[in-house]
Amino acid sequence: MSQISLPSGAVQRARIKRAAKAEKRADIGWAGWTAIALGAAAACYFILGPLLMLLTTAFRGPQDFLPFEDGAGWTLDNLAAVYFDRNLYTTIIPNTLIFTAGSVTVTFLIAFTLAWLVERTDLPFRNGVYTIILFPLLVPGIVLSITWIFLLAPNTGWINVILRTLLGLEGSGPLNIFSMGGMILAQGIGLVPFVFLLLSAALRSMNPSLEEASNTAGASPFTTIRRVTLPVLLPGLLAPLILATLITLEQFETPLVIGFPARINVFSTRIFFELNPDTDLPAYGRAAAVALPFLICGVLLLLLYNHFIRRAESFVTVTGKGFRPMRFALGRWRLPAILFISVYALFGALLPGFVLVWASLFGYSLPSFDILSTISFAGYADLFNNPKFWLAARNTFIVAGGSAVIVTTIGVILAWTILRTQLMGRWVLDFISFLSLGIPAVIAGLASMLLYLSMPIGIYGTVLALVLAYSYRMAVSTRLTRAALMQIHAELEEASSVAGGQWLTTIRRVVLPLLRPSLVASFILLFIIGFREFTIPTILQSPDNTVLSVMMWQAFQGGKTTQAAAVGTMIVIFVIPIIFGLRRFVLARDGRD
Amino acid sequence: MLKVEGLERSYTTPDGLVHAVKGVSFEVPTGSFFTLLGPSGCGKTTTLRCVAGLEQPTGGRITIGGTVVAQPDNDIFVPAFKRDVGMVFQSYAIWPHMNVLENVSYPLVVRKPRPPRDEIRDRAMEALRLVGMDGLANRSATKLSGGQQQRVAFARAIVRHPKVLLLDEPLSNLDAKLREQMRYELQELVARVAITTLYVTHDQSEALAMSDNVAVMSDGLIAQMGPPRTVYNRPANEFVAGFLGGANFLDATIIEADGINSLAAFDEDRGSVRVSLPAGLNKGDRVQIVFRPEDAALRFSAGNNDNQVRASIARLSFQGGLTECHLKVGDTLVRSMLHPSVQADTGADAWIELNPARCTVYPAPERRSQV
Repeated sequence: MSQISLPSGAVQRARIKRAAKAEKRADIGWAGWTAIALGAAAACYFILGPLLMLLTTAFRGPQDFLPFEDGAGWTLDNLAAVYFDRNLYTTIIPNTLIFTAGSVTVTFLIAFTLAWLVERTDLPFRNGVYTIILFPLLVPGIVLSITWIFLLAPNTGWINVILRTLLGLEGSGPLNIFSMGGMILAQGIGLVPFVFLLLSAALRSMNPSLEEASNTAGASPFTTIRRVTLPVLLPGLLAPLILATLITLEQFETPLVIGFPARINVFSTRIFFELNPDTDLPAYGRAAAVALPFLICGVLLLLLYNHFIRRAESFVTVTGKGFRPMRFALGRWRLPAILFISVYALFGALLPGFVLVWASLFGYSLPSFDILSTISFAGYADLFNNPKFWLAARNTFIVAGGSAVIVTTIGVILAWTILRTQLMGRWVLDFISFLSLGIPAVIAGLASMLLYLSMPIGIYGTVLALVLAYSYRMAVSTRLTRAALMQIHAELEEASSVAGGQWLTTIRRVVLPLLRPSLVASFILLFIIGFREFTIPTILQSPDNTVLSVMMWQAFQGGKTTQAAAVGTMIVIFVIPIIFGLRRFVLARDGRD
Repeated sequence: MLKVEGLERSYTTPDGLVHAVKGVSFEVPTGSFFTLLGPSGCGKTTTLRCVAGLEQPTGGRITIGGTVVAQPDNDIFVPAFKRDVGMVFQSYAIWPHMNVLENVSYPLVVRKPRPPRDEIRDRAMEALRLVGMDGLANRSATKLSGGQQQRVAFARAIVRHPKVLLLDEPLSNLDAKLREQMRYELQELVARVAITTLYVTHDQSEALAMSDNVAVMSDGLIAQMGPPRTVYNRPANEFVAGFLGGANFLDATIIEADGINSLAAFDEDRGSVRVSLPAGLNKGDRVQIVFRPEDAALRFSAGNNDNQVRASIARLSFQGGLTECHLKVGDTLVRSMLHPSVQADTGADAWIELNPARCTVYPAPERRSQV
């Protein structure tokens, strides 16, 4: 078929033009074009809009003016103020690096051990262990951070009280959560479920015949691990490591809840305090100036992540279902393995859950039988009688649900456009949606704040502003839908077209029904992310748009421990039905395949 | 019913234009079965997809039932959903979220205006009865075997009695045994519905067995077109001869030029054959003699007539019903089919008996005459 001809004059140009025109799908009709145009415009608006605002704000001043207020002009003052400040180099950057490196190390060591045990050894009760490990994924980071304070606060933390009693110590301590070590521990353990999920998927996707081939070639199990298993899996293991680094870098909850009392600032809290100074007016320009290099870091990490993901995909080819990976017999390591998992489950899932519920019923005191009689549901009673709680609950559902619907819809349009049309610029859409993964939530919040403060329509401070600000996380849904759409043979759509179905009919009757599992998955995932979200609503907070996570933080900060714990418990209670929905959904899908 | 004239399809690539179809013309009369046959990448599927409306041609004209459906010069392009065609896809494209009846009803359901519910059901059931699937109307599409999927795909393609039926390698997804069975079945079905059919395949036996007319395609062009027997027995060129049923090619020189009674001598005094000389060839010209393996009978001693060539047996491969024999004629490999009872030994000399009526003469390819 391939005969390549060189361009020669107007005739050739006309032919090229005609060929190019023919390559575009012209039969999608006005409905198709409208959908694609709207999807592309929305993607650009949600991601590029705030980012452009951020970029320009860094160069606008004076600092206490809104970037496009009357009286503001172009300036380098913000950059000078931020980058000539020694503080940035002596505390912010080192702190951020130590915090990130430390947390990621803790996360990765624990998550990899867990994933290896569950996926590649003959560990008992693997399915149960899998569920327990994933449970904290549904609990907002802010809730976990606060439970760490309940456990490890120097004076009243349960573990400290117990240790002092056991060791006969006086005063406070011996452990102190309000330290770099505490931050690293809390953050490191908090991210384990997510990284475990990615690592176990990577370990599971390895074709066991690669290892079997090495065995039959005469290699010992250890040699096989060293020369086959690890090299093949390496990209698949590095990708989650990079992603964990990216997520930790953008962390805001832990640095705020634990780092702030310890006077340890990282870049995300620095941005927040530029916006919420104790005495001054918010310094938008300086906040934006701090954000820029970290945004660049995020995007670079993202590109690295993309590189490893591609390598992992080209390496690991799962050719069918029903793989039985080689499992290593734990033998006498069985007991230590079970112990390891138990300790993780205790500190990662059970103890935080218990301390939260306990504090909501009994306040800040250590559990004992004497105290059981002082049980009080006052915290909940107050909460349920407080209209602010119901407003926050309603807001949380609206924001999580609304943004999940918006992003899932845009994701479908983008995925379809990228895979099924020859439109120029469709790869730009792909890149933009992927870019969203590299934008730290603090920066997304800040950028949305700048955008909606500057808009003449009164959207700032409303729930709608939150819905729009959350909706930048397009990578999840675009990637999920793309993967699903790739599995749908294009001939299934063409068959509808040949049978007489117009574009919209084909989408409605063939594409969407076939995509339903991935649409549901995308919605649930985004809903959970939205439900957990704390950073963006904190930055964009107003009395009207408070969400549950922010309400919990406010209560905790205001010294209302019982109420904070009650809100935290309610968040978990709201989220639990979603876990079961997700589980049922995932199980149903596995069963059908 | 279907008329394709000068069809062209080019693609833009970073290196310039790539021509997939370079000017293909053919006509399929109402009710007849037409096959596009060729190796992968020859442009046959692109041609079919242009007829379906799934791809836009860049040149030429396509007419279905008297209506021009594509003519880029006049900016005419009727999208697939507005053309009255039925298509069976290579993957069958049975929608997994619908059951058998819903799959077959679909072309009627999306028709505007939509026919009454009862009519849709009756017509879909009628189509299913035709393919013998009416008993499985409510079965989930994911629980069908390959053969059943093909039947459903066929029923769906004909349910609205389209003007043209398009079949895109519908047998290529089946295993060898089922493929043969489904070929007969498909042949019968097509005969029963008597729809104008355009069939695309790379399998020569499918093409020869099923078609009224075959077009052999190569490199975006039709190399030869005609009834299966003609194309097989009188291949117009080397490519067609080679693609259809593994032909043997032997170099020779014309030593007597006398019309249908010319004589061609094989190299190295290995023998000669009486041939019918095509116009434009003269004494002394280098030619290629082309014959089919089934026409190459073996003898183990030299005969005394013209029509033979000396060879040696290079390989014998017993295949049950026949023995395939590879012979060396100089450096050239020749294939022959032997009855399994024939005793032969590797390395032995053998004489290939040629039937002059079954040999075709082509001018030697330019490149070889230059060497």
